[in-house]
Amino acid sequence: MSSKDSRSHIKAVDDPSDAAAQVFYQKREKIYVREVHGLFALLRVSAVVVLLGLYYGLPWLQWDGRQALLFDLPARKFYIFDLVLWPQDFFYLAVLLIVAALSLFFFTALAGRLWCGYACPQTVWTEIFMWIERKIEGDRPKQMKLDKLPWNREKILKKGGKHFAWLALAGWTGFTFVGYFTPILELGDRLLAFQLGPWETFWIIFYGFATYGNAGWMREQVCLYMCPYARFQSAMFDDNTLVISYDEKRGEPRGSRKKGADPDALGLGDCIDCTMCVQVCPTGIDIREGLQYECIGCAACIDVCDDVMDRMGYPKGLIRYTTENALQGESTRVLRPRVLIYAALLLVISAALVYSISQRTPLELDIIRDRTGLYRETPQGLVENVYTLKIVNMDEEAHVYRLSVEGLEGLEVNNVARDIRVPGGEVYTLPMSLAVDPVVLDQASNTVYFTLQALDDPSIVVVQKGRFVGPVGP
Amino acid sequence: MAPQDSPGAAPIPRIQMFIALLWPGFLVAGVATVLVFTLIDPVEVMECMGWSGLDRLGLYSLGFFFFWVLSSGSSAATCYFQKPCATVNRKPAARS
Repeated sequence: MSSKDSRSHIKAVDDPSDAAAQVFYQKREKIYVREVHGLFALLRVSAVVVLLGLYYGLPWLQWDGRQALLFDLPARKFYIFDLVLWPQDFFYLAVLLIVAALSLFFFTALAGRLWCGYACPQTVWTEIFMWIERKIEGDRPKQMKLDKLPWNREKILKKGGKHFAWLALAGWTGFTFVGYFTPILELGDRLLAFQLGPWETFWIIFYGFATYGNAGWMREQVCLYMCPYARFQSAMFDDNTLVISYDEKRGEPRGSRKKGADPDALGLGDCIDCTMCVQVCPTGIDIREGLQYECIGCAACIDVCDDVMDRMGYPKGLIRYTTENALQGESTRVLRPRVLIYAALLLVISAALVYSISQRTPLELDIIRDRTGLYRETPQGLVENVYTLKIVNMDEEAHVYRLSVEGLEGLEVNNVARDIRVPGGEVYTLPMSLAVDPVVLDQASNTVYFTLQALDDPSIVVVQKGRFVGPVGP
Repeated sequence: MAPQDSPGAAPIPRIQMFIALLWPGFLVAGVATVLVFTLIDPVEVMECMGWSGLDRLGLYSLGFFFFWVLSSGSSAATCYFQKPCATVNRKPAARS
């Protein structure tokens, strides 16, 4: 980032010794965002409707008599439609995060900050909070006027109404958030009966407050100071990346003029310096100063400038989605090594994830050796090892399993029922022992294989290695 | 790298200082909470230690805040040591 980029945030101060103090204590200047209409605004609003619809709606969706999407923290189980994940399945979550990161890299390399402009929760909630603000306070000029007014009845009513509406939405957001982690129907019942648990209440308020603060107050500051992605996204950019850019060659020299005036005669470019692009910018930058890390790629400036160009009778696209190469009059390469590598990695890892989930065995066997002694000798002269088996049936249905142990000749499996029935989603603890004639032991530590097979489904089988300890062989 | 990117070269807005203290800690605490409680069930740990009275949600929450305090402490130490050495010497001079 060049020093020019952050200029808009550091004001020039005459006395250099005061400069530091002034910047340090400089108050954030509130950004009043003008409403914008157009193709990209429509896309953004559609994204807001779809994404918020999913967020607020999904927890209410029922599936097979339970919540379709439930990250049941109290029960340590994640329900994702038909899939039930246990802490043992953490690997899938890790891979899913890698897939998400790679998608972000891929889309950034290809089309710049699509995520920031259309899909980021910060953008989406800020958009809806600004919509509420506009409905109550009016558009940009009215908001500015209202803020300058002394505290009269109108101002108190409007400001109070806005914050009440914000808080209500934020509260609902917090409730929905907690509804992803604890069944939302019961949570709703408890909420209506004022019987919420202390931690549920705490997290609803915490998340609601975070939403209210981030989307109502912090807004673009979250992108500027808090977002890690905003800082490193430029690393994925190259001259072929789609960015929002002002066409300097066409626009400059900028200047106001009468409608219908001939810009050539006035010696002016196409930019009429109406500052509309600055007024609609949610991060308060001037896109005409070039690509800046503050730009979240929301394309509001494109919409408003196209509108102005239309009214002036100039061609659209003074500000447009373009690439650095296209601006320099060179051709843009969409398929380039960077994009292909991201795409290939994304495909391979996603396919591997889907395959491994489809091959997942909903059964786990943990073998815990008895800690009190390495082995003991039975009255019959056999060597015995004691174990505790933990059988985790990660399926939703009950299964009957059969246990077999192999690896030593004449191995006796004791204390184990022929059929072990474990109800769906439960852990069964099975104390058992193995015994063998010491003559077959030719070393102190031997490997044995525990096989647990579901009787009703041949594909549900696990084999676990265990250790059998005896006296050093003859 | 531009001058303001290097530590201590240019002052940052106050809100950015608070964020620099608390926000990295928040992110790290989130990751730590997920990792630690995936491997360890806090209820089992409590049982082993003979304590009771808190459910999993409560233990997860306390764990999260515990990690947040720890990791923010680390951020605070980073901010503290980032102070240019020259400013440490200048203090007594300013007093006289």
